[in-house]
Amino acid sequence: MPLRSIDWGSIAPLRLRARALADGVYAGAHRSLRRGPGVEFGGHREYVPGDDLRWLDHRALLRHDKLLVREFETETDRGLRLIVDASASMAFRGSQAPASKFAFAALLAAALARIALASGDPVGLEWIGGGSVRPLPAMSGREAFERVVGALESASAGGDLRLDGTALDQAFGAIARRAKRGTIIVLLSDLIDLPDEALDRFAALGLGGRVLLAVQILDHDELTFPFQGTVRLRALEGSSVVETDADATREHYLAKLDAIAADWSANLTHHGGQFVRASTSDDPAEIIRRAVSAVAGRFTHGVDE
Amino acid sequence: MSFAYAAALAVALLVAAPFIAHLLQRRRADERDFPPARLVAPSPPVARRRRHIDDRALYAVRTAAVLALALLGATPFVRCSSLALGRQGGASIALAIVLDDSLSMLAQVDQKTRWDRALRAADDLVDGAREGDSVAVVLAGSPPRIALAPTTDLAAARGVVRSLSPSHRATDLEGALELAQSIVHGLPQSDRRVVLLSDLADGHPDAPPLGETGDVPLWIPLTDLTAPAPNCAVLRADRQRDRASVRVACFPAGESRRRSIEVVAGDKVVGRAPLPDEAAALDVGVDLTGAAGDLVARVTGNDAIAADDVAPVLATTGDLTIAIVADPAGAKLVTGGAPPVEQALASLERDIRLRPLPLLPDRLEDLNGLAGMVIEDPPGFTPEARRSLTAWIDRGGVVLLALGPHAPLAPLGANFEPLVPGSIAWAPSPSPGLDDKASILFGAAAGGLLDIRPRGRASIDLNALGSGAQVTARWKDGEPWLIERPLGRGFVFLLTVPTSPDESDLALRPAFLMLLDRVVDATRTRNGAYRITVGEAWAFEGAKSLDVVGPQKAKLRVTDEPGRKMVVPDRVGVYEITLDQDKLTRVVAASEKEVDERPRRVSEKAVSPSMGDTRAKVDLSPYLAVALLALLVGELALRLRARKTPSLDAGHASPTG
Repeated sequence: MPLRSIDWGSIAPLRLRARALADGVYAGAHRSLRRGPGVEFGGHREYVPGDDLRWLDHRALLRHDKLLVREFETETDRGLRLIVDASASMAFRGSQAPASKFAFAALLAAALARIALASGDPVGLEWIGGGSVRPLPAMSGREAFERVVGALESASAGGDLRLDGTALDQAFGAIARRAKRGTIIVLLSDLIDLPDEALDRFAALGLGGRVLLAVQILDHDELTFPFQGTVRLRALEGSSVVETDADATREHYLAKLDAIAADWSANLTHHGGQFVRASTSDDPAEIIRRAVSAVAGRFTHGVDE
Repeated sequence: MSFAYAAALAVALLVAAPFIAHLLQRRRADERDFPPARLVAPSPPVARRRRHIDDRALYAVRTAAVLALALLGATPFVRCSSLALGRQGGASIALAIVLDDSLSMLAQVDQKTRWDRALRAADDLVDGAREGDSVAVVLAGSPPRIALAPTTDLAAARGVVRSLSPSHRATDLEGALELAQSIVHGLPQSDRRVVLLSDLADGHPDAPPLGETGDVPLWIPLTDLTAPAPNCAVLRADRQRDRASVRVACFPAGESRRRSIEVVAGDKVVGRAPLPDEAAALDVGVDLTGAAGDLVARVTGNDAIAADDVAPVLATTGDLTIAIVADPAGAKLVTGGAPPVEQALASLERDIRLRPLPLLPDRLEDLNGLAGMVIEDPPGFTPEARRSLTAWIDRGGVVLLALGPHAPLAPLGANFEPLVPGSIAWAPSPSPGLDDKASILFGAAAGGLLDIRPRGRASIDLNALGSGAQVTARWKDGEPWLIERPLGRGFVFLLTVPTSPDESDLALRPAFLMLLDRVVDATRTRNGAYRITVGEAWAFEGAKSLDVVGPQKAKLRVTDEPGRKMVVPDRVGVYEITLDQDKLTRVVAASEKEVDERPRRVSEKAVSPSMGDTRAKVDLSPYLAVALLALLVGELALRLRARKTPSLDAGHASPTG
């Protein structure tokens, strides 16, 4: 399936919009996600450009002739792991939307990353599908935001998640292995074309004291099904083309869409997670506020215990 | 064409509007991206219905209404290819249509016969007639007949024209035109016309042109009917012993090339003779040695007229029995041999069968096998013989009664009734020989009778014979020598001298053979197969019942006239006649001149375009208006029905798609 360029619309430039959004929402109002003192060695990983050279393991370089950096974790690690859906369906931009769903998701991801980084919490980035995507390990520091934004801006949408069985493994597997207790895992996706097991696997990430937040990002057209008369609808993932009478099937469609949301919401709630639905036409600040509130509420209600 | 008419016709294009709208609606919807498409349920029933016309009846009604509306607006341009008369200032017309129903009109050209085209033209003319017009129809087959007397009832005229059928008659254009002119001449309409629908082939190509005489204008619109149609016809076929003489005519003469005459018995060909390369009209001999049964002569190959390609072969001789009733003692010759009348009949070579009888049979059964009878000098008839003889003659028997010296010697109870009512006297002839008028009957042979000297002669009371008796030859003193009288369906020849050489030298005269030949002809006419030309009439004197069945098993109409019944066959072929329970066979032959298709000349003014047009403007407005009204009513009914039976699917309300 070909890659689709991202329609950034009015969201570009991402860096500035995300910074403004995060600063506006959380100017002095946020709380640190870091909790508790002490740092313990969390393992090695390959060096990627931009890593803090202080954590470069010189001994390992001499021993293995590889650039490895040391990772440290604390028991109270509140790091943020972003999982951004870059499948083909995310490239959709409806007639009334300011930008594509991916652009909106990237804006939210960058803003959340900036908020977390501002609190000194590391931010990692994983991808579901997409092209030219660069996973980012959890990192903190001033350059982390730039790296997150750079990764988001350089990505392109593509791939059929229902056919690509490895897409979830790459994203969820890495987080399952590395995310510690207390890590906040935020999934930014339309949740439409995810494989059937996606919900269970994402919910499974909530084990071990991790905090889950799923943000469903939909276009205004997807939320309202504004068509009339006979329409032929082509899915961006897969080859399904549906001809239907929009007036006759609108309610049925919206019910199924709501059922997906309800299913995710119920499952995540059961696993201590939160679910937020967003429209690309919504005010992104409000979505950020709801997301942070959801996560904060999770802590308020004592998820850690 | 004015702008208004063009615009009206352009309205007809709107007929495609509902269908185009339907096509637009059933066109595949624009495809668009929609990521959650798999969550959308397809709705095939609705989509499929939208591809079809939901209410076909309503769609058809609306389409027809649009068409009717367009035609209604453009009516002045709706023309039909039909025959129409040119009118003089719109005045009413007295129209006589002369329709040629002769054999040549059956010629097939371009899959249609000339008759079909002429009948269609006649129908068009009647359809084009208006209120106040008078229409008459005359048939030009010989003899000309009035099929429809002048009438202003156009519906009746239309019915008559459409009921006409062609015949095999000859053509009589002169007579038909004269008849047509006579019947329209006295009509009140000032504009009178005679329209001739014919191939103009009346057998007189060199006669004066048609249309030059007469005070009623003649119009001959279908001049293309004169296009030649190659044809060969078998006119008649006669068998004489083992040979058939077949009369054949072809037009053009070269049409006979590579064709031949076959004589068939059932499916078996029993004789064949090739035709010469050019056979305008000739007799062809066909050898029929050993052939038996009902024979038919036919010309091989195909031509424009199939009806005249076959003719039955008639046995002009044979199967005709004539009895000679003579006293062997009195009729014998001194030199020996058969009586002279018997020898004379045999000498005619008419292939008749002779049966000598010494006495007249008393029983009718014994007479039934006889067609004719020559009774020589009888001494009267007994009551039983008279009764059977009367019944036999009444059925068509022919008798030559030669009265002699024994006539007045009839015994008690014997007489000659009903052949000769009253008394008969026998006396020496006061004056020898017949008068000069005998030559009318016998021609040059009558000279031998002018000095005939019999020993005596019979005298008959003419008044007792009644008005039907006719004296055809007289003695010089005016007394009858030969009397002919019909009796029932039979015929009686009364000869006032006997044929015995002992009494007269009549048997030695040539006129005697002619007399016998006349008797044989009369016998064959009333008993054997008898052929006439189509259009001629059969008259059956004294017939009580008569049924005639034609070649197509069609029963012919019998005309009752005082004392006789008449039938006019109009088709070539064999006719089965039931005459007072007797079965007879008659044959009708085609006219030779009907084969000659050379057209009669016509005058210039008879084919002038000013007389009419082959295209008629037909005002369809009233019919279209009624049709449009009916369609609107139909649409209302359909919509009412649709309202009473609402669709199960709310999205399925469009009547056309």
